[in-house]
Amino acid sequence: MLLRTAHQLTVENDGIVDTIALTGGTSRAHVIREICSHLEPYQVGEKPITGETVIAKDLTIDSLAIMDMVMELEDRFDVSIPMSVIAEIHTVDQLADTIQDLRAARG
Amino acid sequence: MNPLPTRNSQLALRRADYQSVPEMLDYAAHGETGITFYNVRGEILSALAWREVRERAQVTARRLIGAGFAVGDRILLTADTWPGFFDVFFGAQYAGLLPVPVSIPVGIGGKEAYLDQLRRQLAASGAVAAIGVDDLAGFLSDAAREFPDVRLQGGLAAIDALPEKPVDLRPLGPADLCYIQFSSGSTRHPHGVQITQSALMANLAGMTGPAGLDVVPGDRAVSWLPLYHDMGLIGFTMAPLSSQLSIDYLTPRDFARRPTQWLNLISRNRGTIAYSPSFGYDLATRRAANQLPTDLDLSSWRHAGIGGDMIRPDVLDRFAQTFERVGFDRKAFIPSYGMAEVCLAITFCPHGTGVRTDAIDRAVLAAEQRAVPATDPTDERRARRFVLCGEVLPGHRLEVRGTDGKVLSDRDVGRIFVKGPSVMPGYFDEPEATREVLSDDGWLDTGDLGYTLAGDVVVTGRAKDLIIVNGRNVWPQDIEWAIEARKVVKNGDSAAFSVDTVDGERVVVAVLARVSGEEARQALARDVAGAVREAIAVDCDVVLVPPTLGLPTTSSGKLSRARTKANYLAGLYAPKTEAA
Repeated sequence: MLLRTAHQLTVENDGIVDTIALTGGTSRAHVIREICSHLEPYQVGEKPITGETVIAKDLTIDSLAIMDMVMELEDRFDVSIPMSVIAEIHTVDQLADTIQDLRAARG
Repeated sequence: MNPLPTRNSQLALRRADYQSVPEMLDYAAHGETGITFYNVRGEILSALAWREVRERAQVTARRLIGAGFAVGDRILLTADTWPGFFDVFFGAQYAGLLPVPVSIPVGIGGKEAYLDQLRRQLAASGAVAAIGVDDLAGFLSDAAREFPDVRLQGGLAAIDALPEKPVDLRPLGPADLCYIQFSSGSTRHPHGVQITQSALMANLAGMTGPAGLDVVPGDRAVSWLPLYHDMGLIGFTMAPLSSQLSIDYLTPRDFARRPTQWLNLISRNRGTIAYSPSFGYDLATRRAANQLPTDLDLSSWRHAGIGGDMIRPDVLDRFAQTFERVGFDRKAFIPSYGMAEVCLAITFCPHGTGVRTDAIDRAVLAAEQRAVPATDPTDERRARRFVLCGEVLPGHRLEVRGTDGKVLSDRDVGRIFVKGPSVMPGYFDEPEATREVLSDDGWLDTGDLGYTLAGDVVVTGRAKDLIIVNGRNVWPQDIEWAIEARKVVKNGDSAAFSVDTVDGERVVVAVLARVSGEEARQALARDVAGAVREAIAVDCDVVLVPPTLGLPTTSSGKLSRARTKANYLAGLYAPKTEAA
């Protein structure tokens, strides 16, 4: 997939998100933007949130807030992430890919 | 689809006067009541009358017997709230096998920790099969790979693929075990409580009888409690079944997502019995603060039970204040106390009294282990409110003993011991661990501290290091081990404990800071909190201890968490770093 390399980008930057959109992954950029808007309050210092950010580790977000975020993303994108899949998600990229894949599978 | 009826049309209500689980399911199957499953929107997913539960269980039993499983074999079973759980759990009861219900993975990135837990539970139970929801079939297969004795693993399809043979059922009887309850011991060294048919029947009789919930026709149970916990499985499957009640189920995950859905189900279906640890009442109150559904009517709820962790009177006050305007009666609160080692419950508060508290002097409690009434109960610095948890069930005994083993008088704080027909025979295949808590004459050391007050027991804390977060037992060893396993700090450099706050227990991890510079210190604190969150799904405060100070140890050189905690509370360590 073209945008597997998105983790190299600073996704909180709207300009770059627009670039992603232009290169053909509108919905993925959208998913990432949505995830980042949930995560921004938990950013540590100046270190930007990227696709490689390990959600439970690199940020100050607590486990209840992570659960809330996953639930809100599920509602927002109308998908249900199986618990076995959630258990294997560590990074922003993986979460975005999961949501993308579930949406694609639904057709 | 409609929810199953609250009352049976013909069948007379029999209240837990059986000798075994198969016997009580056989009786309930003559009626129309049963289990209804709901999704997060409160829509019915499926409904199984007890009659169907029994039919499906017997099909499962014939498949399992036909496949050659021997009497007494253990089946590990993921206890999500789904119909398949009941097929396998009750199927095992008719096949002479012992189910071993286990939890489902928690949180994001928790796969490795979960597989590790499954392996330890497979080892501790010696299970020969591992069955779960389809979603977890892969994890079960992964975990079972290094256990050659596990002959069957995967989703429910693994059982459905077995031929149903015309074999005789082998129902578990009064002298048999019923199942193995993992809820005691750490994740590293899990202890499986042996739940016997006879202890379970005794506990159910107490729970549903006049000294317990006094179940009557017209009662209906509503639950979101996880079925891998004794309060979920015994309190909200076995107890309603033993009285032929209908149950409405929401999964724990859906409750966390929409706590008010629990209250909606009580309201819509005129539920009368529902339980939760304090944190569930707290969650419901917080969510309802934004939007209290106007059509909610909680006036049918006659027993709002609380158990599972230290009962927080402030939380319950807030809940009552919020929901009184939609018919909730604060006198419906029933504080209760128990543990898996007595199946579930050992004391219940009397009906109609609500939450009764005892405000005692904090300083005297700490210095002399005595619960002396506070001169000014409203002064929170000097007074601490504890909840009275009621009287011990009929046929059982409860004693509070001092360190010398002598029974203490009222208001003297000591260890709580219980005895009676609900007490377990021991942990599965763990004679040593059993001897540590169970005496030859049948007294169980609960590991809890408390005092008696004119027949009531008041629980003040735990003698052991166990931490309870949102109803979940967390062993400090597991937290320390998670940090060490991720090589954040080395073995022996961390100590986990919990401190009481108004909102519940807060986990604190003290770590030796072998780094210098503010940036490195902050990074260390963050790594520790991150490791704990990822492995255990628990949030913690991290305190950095100078290596020159070290962590306190016992005389035998073992880490002393109690002294670490005391030092922390005394302000001996650096100001705490909010890592979460």
